[in-house]
Amino acid sequence: MTTAVQPAGGGSGVERPTSSSLADVIDTILDKGLVIDAYVRVSLVGIELLTIDARVVVASVDTYLRFAEAVNRLDISADEKQGLPDLVGGMQESGSKSKTKGALEAAGEKLRETLGDDSGEEEPAGQRRKGGSR
Amino acid sequence: MTESTRGVYVYGIVPADVEVQPDAEGVGDPPGKVDMVTHGDIAALISAVPTDEALGRPEDLTAHAALLDGAAAEVPVLPMKFGGVLAGREQVTEELLAPHHDEFVGALAELEGRAEYLVRGRYHTDTVLGEILRENPELDRLRERIRETSQDASRNERISLGEAVNNALAAKRAADTSTAMKALGDLDLTVTSREPTHEEDAVHLACLARTDQQSDLEAALNRLAEQWTGRVDLRLLGPLAPYDFVVSAV
Repeated sequence: MTTAVQPAGGGSGVERPTSSSLADVIDTILDKGLVIDAYVRVSLVGIELLTIDARVVVASVDTYLRFAEAVNRLDISADEKQGLPDLVGGMQESGSKSKTKGALEAAGEKLRETLGDDSGEEEPAGQRRKGGSR
Repeated sequence: MTESTRGVYVYGIVPADVEVQPDAEGVGDPPGKVDMVTHGDIAALISAVPTDEALGRPEDLTAHAALLDGAAAEVPVLPMKFGGVLAGREQVTEELLAPHHDEFVGALAELEGRAEYLVRGRYHTDTVLGEILRENPELDRLRERIRETSQDASRNERISLGEAVNNALAAKRAADTSTAMKALGDLDLTVTSREPTHEEDAVHLACLARTDQQSDLEAALNRLAEQWTGRVDLRLLGPLAPYDFVVSAV
């Protein structure tokens, strides 16, 4: 649990990070915003950009096999206890989370390799070159 | 460094009466000093950048975003997509600011007092998979069959199971996105749904909201986060530059 300024009591409010993670930035500034080429053509400088592939969720056989593994590992009886009062909620959650972590973590593996976790700290990221200059 | 190997990186457009903080750092290594090129009522946020070095290191990306998001907290800003470089300051005026002056003035006026906020929800994997199994008994039966079969023999079944889970997850995402949009429905804002960028994404919304309404937005999302405790972790980012709400009109 990170330290966050939240209304006291609930402890389950919306997270308010003070800055965007690198992954958030990548989701935003690489394919959104005004495109300068649309306004300027003559003096545009063809600087080489180390582009990072836009992050998209593409379902493939690999994805399906990972999901299958994740649900196969899931302990449904443990899951049903989640209906119990808040008292056990937290422990339950962290306990069961670690159990199937391996499977779905793999789902984001490719991203995490280069970007670090979405919700985590910014890690130095490598980029995949996608062709050269614009 | 000679003049021929330098260009002018353009971050975005702001009203002309904006002042750049003296310590603002731009893209490049070492980071370029952020400056403004002013024309009439508008200005471009710029920095000099060497053109013989590739741009796009993590530091470059975060510098671009941090500068514009910092500006957006205070003033209206039209954010450029990452990577726009012009030959020089004169060209910024002559080709970008002068020809599009009135258009940019109009867009900045529309954004006055508003900024973008990003709402991201991430599923608790086990909780949402458990929901999917309970709501789709046939998947649970398929799961049992797979458990009784060898890895190799069950490959097709496992693919079917995973595909069904994937589809069920997409349906949940759509339903939860709609729930989140309704939760924000009473606020005076424009919402657009972004594509998921992670398989566990539950909600990915961009909102253009009045900055003086930020606490209302936070309150609405806190209520939703309470409702989704143990199921979806909600995160609110912003104020940010309105990337999702500006469009090149060419």
